[in-house]
Amino acid sequence: MSEHMIEKRQEPAPGEARYPGEPSTQEIIARDRVPAPDWVRSESYEFLGDADIPIDRYIDPEFAQKEFDHLWTRTWQFACREEIIPEVGDYYVYDIGRHSFIVTRVAAGEVRAYYNACLHRGTMLRAPGTDGCAKEFKCSFHGWTWTLDGSLKQALCDWDFPHVEAEKFALPQARVELLAGFVFINMDENAPSLAEYLGAEFLSHINQWGLEDRYTYCHVSKSLPANWKLSMAAFMEAYHVLDTHPQVAPSNADANSQYDFYGEHVDRFISSLGVVSPHLKGQYTEQDILDQFTLGDSSVAGDVPRKLEEGETARQRMADIIREAFETQSNTDLSGVSDSELLDCFSYTLFPNTFLFPGISLPMVYRFRPDPDNHRRTIYEVFFLRPVPQGGERPDPAETVYLNDDQSFTEAEGMDPGFGAILDQDTENLILQQAGLEASAKPGITLGNYQEIRIRHFERAVDKYVKGAA
Amino acid sequence: MSEEYVRFCEASEIPPGAKKHAKVNGAWVLVCNVKGRLLAVSAICSHQEKPLFTGRVRNCKISCPVHGARFDLETGEALELPATKPIATYAVRVVGDWVEVRL
Repeated sequence: MSEHMIEKRQEPAPGEARYPGEPSTQEIIARDRVPAPDWVRSESYEFLGDADIPIDRYIDPEFAQKEFDHLWTRTWQFACREEIIPEVGDYYVYDIGRHSFIVTRVAAGEVRAYYNACLHRGTMLRAPGTDGCAKEFKCSFHGWTWTLDGSLKQALCDWDFPHVEAEKFALPQARVELLAGFVFINMDENAPSLAEYLGAEFLSHINQWGLEDRYTYCHVSKSLPANWKLSMAAFMEAYHVLDTHPQVAPSNADANSQYDFYGEHVDRFISSLGVVSPHLKGQYTEQDILDQFTLGDSSVAGDVPRKLEEGETARQRMADIIREAFETQSNTDLSGVSDSELLDCFSYTLFPNTFLFPGISLPMVYRFRPDPDNHRRTIYEVFFLRPVPQGGERPDPAETVYLNDDQSFTEAEGMDPGFGAILDQDTENLILQQAGLEASAKPGITLGNYQEIRIRHFERAVDKYVKGAA
Repeated sequence: MSEEYVRFCEASEIPPGAKKHAKVNGAWVLVCNVKGRLLAVSAICSHQEKPLFTGRVRNCKISCPVHGARFDLETGEALELPATKPIATYAVRVVGDWVEVRL
């Protein structure tokens, strides 16, 4: 045998490669003192190919129109939280594209979504983006009135409308389902149930999070300067943390985050916190990591001593700090809640446009909607959900804060300043990415096999709805 | 505008979370108790002059039950369509057992 023969290294199959020499997310979590439940320890990744994704979907207004016609009309969308419509008669207007729905509580356990248009001459019964309480819905134009259950109560001068049969003039409805304190709607009568759409595996996750026992502490809305799918993709991977959020990398296992998807409509990542990025290995001590830790909802923790004991890890200390802070804030015993659930960033996407972050220190929801007048813009919202204090009164959901283009996310009252800064950094990239795609000579985007799988999985679902039969 | 405060109702009639409307010198006035604070506004919506006073109060704002307009109880500002004009606000105080308003 030749001395110079090089031993052929076994190349990993596509999608198998991970950051060399670094612990996996599951290995990090396995070291914690309070162990993690099944849903955290689940792993569900498959290689879905490595072909480029064509960019017309981001830059062509005709693609946006196809989405309005075939995607937004056939998918389950998060319309509002139940807490904003707690009493019979409460309603919230959910607008998507040209569609608008008056999402109304009609009985203690029943919510309906009425198409928001008078059946006389089409006037909206409630203004877009509003919410309130009504005993009936009266049109401001000629006073035609519907009861809460959607029946026609009054057509003024009914002698002039012998051709109007009341049974045929009930307000049309979209489908509604309730899950974990969220109201979902779907315009497609033939769509599968929400449970089938999201899948049993994901349902087993969300049923353990108790999101129905939370209240909206902060709600911010801002127009982002990019197509809604680009805006979503900005949050689907931790690959960008090193360059876009350098202040986070010292305490975030970004490049060894875990990526999973469940069925066609749900995907997630787990990005561990309190451990240094593999890119920065050796540059930070455990004390440095603790000092750098950016907590998503830090006002809960207040001023806490952060000096580590000998042999103590930053991760374990942060978990202990967060556990104590949230126990106090919500007046509950969290000793059975795992360190990982308290600390780590769990980001789930529910197709088409909702992100849920069930981790306790970063308890957020995102919603993305295409700007109906501009395919280069997104209506983006972030909600911070806090646990309702046990034995206390449920606080009213926060008023929405609307930011304009030149305002930083940090200007919104209730927004954690560290987190607001992170959102500003993402926004800066989006401006350049939208413009860059329009300037590019390359017809597709290229995705990493593992770290960008959520983007590929998401675009696959977009294609299913846009290109499938109407 | 009169400088004089006029008796509106007994303070015990408007505990926190409650509201009460009454005609005062020809004007319909609504007084709301928002977490211990009394705020007085017109009881008539500026959109189509319909009664506002059964509307839901949340986060120091009132929603008109008729067509869904919303007003800030502190400033009277119209916050949402279909209203575009503000409603009047009035000074309010408690003297002894009585709520008084100034038109």
